[in-house]
Amino acid sequence: MKPDLRGLSALELTIGRVLRLGVGASSVLLAAGLLLTLVHEGDNVAPIVLTIAIIILLATPAARVAISVVEYIRERDWLFVALTLIVLLTLAGSVVVAFWNAES
Amino acid sequence: MTVSLAAVIFAAGVVAGSLGIVLGLGGGIFLVPFLTLALGFSVKSAAAISLTTVIATSSAAAAARAGKHLMNLRLGMLLEVATAAGSLLGGITAQIVAESILQRMFGVVAIVVAAVMLARVNRRNVISDPHADPGRLGSRFHDAESGGVVTYRIKRLPLALFASFIAGNLSSLLGIGGGVIKVPVLNAWCGMPLRAAAATSAMMIGVTATGGAIIFYGRGDLQPLAAAPAVLGVQFGSWAGLHLSEHASAKWLKLLMVTILVIVGGMMFTKSMG
Repeated sequence: MKPDLRGLSALELTIGRVLRLGVGASSVLLAAGLLLTLVHEGDNVAPIVLTIAIIILLATPAARVAISVVEYIRERDWLFVALTLIVLLTLAGSVVVAFWNAES
Repeated sequence: MTVSLAAVIFAAGVVAGSLGIVLGLGGGIFLVPFLTLALGFSVKSAAAISLTTVIATSSAAAAARAGKHLMNLRLGMLLEVATAAGSLLGGITAQIVAESILQRMFGVVAIVVAAVMLARVNRRNVISDPHADPGRLGSRFHDAESGGVVTYRIKRLPLALFASFIAGNLSSLLGIGGGVIKVPVLNAWCGMPLRAAAATSAMMIGVTATGGAIIFYGRGDLQPLAAAPAVLGVQFGSWAGLHLSEHASAKWLKLLMVTILVIVGGMMFTKSMG
C-alpha cells in the first residue's frame, strides 16, 4: 500500500494557484509598463501601470498567509491559526509603518 | 532607464530566479552588491529592488512546486514567526553591532556551515520506509532520486528557529530573504532533505521580504521601473532552473550550495576588512 499524499496537498494547490495568479498578473503589468517607458519616454500611463503591478506583487505573499489562516481555522488547528495570524499581523504592521513614514 | 540597463537587471533576475528554485535562495545576497557596486544604485534602492526580486522568486518557486509536497507548510509557518520577530528587531541589531562585525560574523558562519555540509555531502536525511512516522513537523514526499516516497523528521527545532530569527534579522538590513542562512542549517543540522529545505525556504522568503519591501516602498526607495526587469528575469530564471534541476542529485545540489556559501562568506569577509 502506498501512503496517501493527496490529503496534504489541497492547501498547497490553492496557494499555488493564488501565487501563480499574483506573479502572472504583476509580470504582465510590469512588462507592459517597462515597454511603454522604453518605447515612449515620459509616458503618463506607464508609472500607474507599474505601481499597480508592484502592489499586486507585494500583496501576493500576504494573500498566501491569509489563505493559510482560513484553512487552519477550517481544520480547527488553533496553534497554527495563532501562528499564521502573528505573521499576518507583522505584515499589517509593516503597512502601518510604511504609511506613517510616507506621511511624515 | 535604458534598454541595456534593463537587460543587465533582467539577467541578474534570471540568476536570482534559478537559485531560488534550485536552492531556495532569493539571490539578494548577490543582487545587492551587484546593483550597488556595478550599477551604482544606492544601498537603499538596491535593497528595495532585491527584496522585490525575492518576493517574485518566492512566489514563482512556490507556485511551480505546488502539489509536489516538497514545501513543508507547517514548519515554514512556524519558522516564519521567528523570522518575523527577527525582522522586527533588525533595526535594533543594526544599532548595537557595527556593520563590519556583522559581515565578519556572517563570513565565519557561512564558511563553517559550508564545511559541515561538505563533510555530510553523501549522507541523506531521508528515511526510505514510506510508513515511518514523520512526527508533528516532518513530512514525506516523492523522491525522484530514489524513486519512492521518503519520510523525514525535524531535529533540533530550537536551532531551526534561531536560524530563522537571524535570517529575518538580516533581511531588511542586507536586502536578502535569508535563504542562504536557513537552507544550509535546516539541511546540515535539522534533518531536512535539501530539496524540502529549499522549497520550504523559497516559500518563506517571500513573506520575509514583503515586510521590508513594503517599508522601503512607503519611504519611496523602491523604483518600480528598475524592479520590473528584475521580476521578469526571475520568471525566466525559475522556469529554467526548475527544468535544469529536476534530475540533479542531492549531492550536486549540496556542492552547489557549498560553493555559494564559500563565495558569499569570502565576499563578506573581504568587505569587512575593506
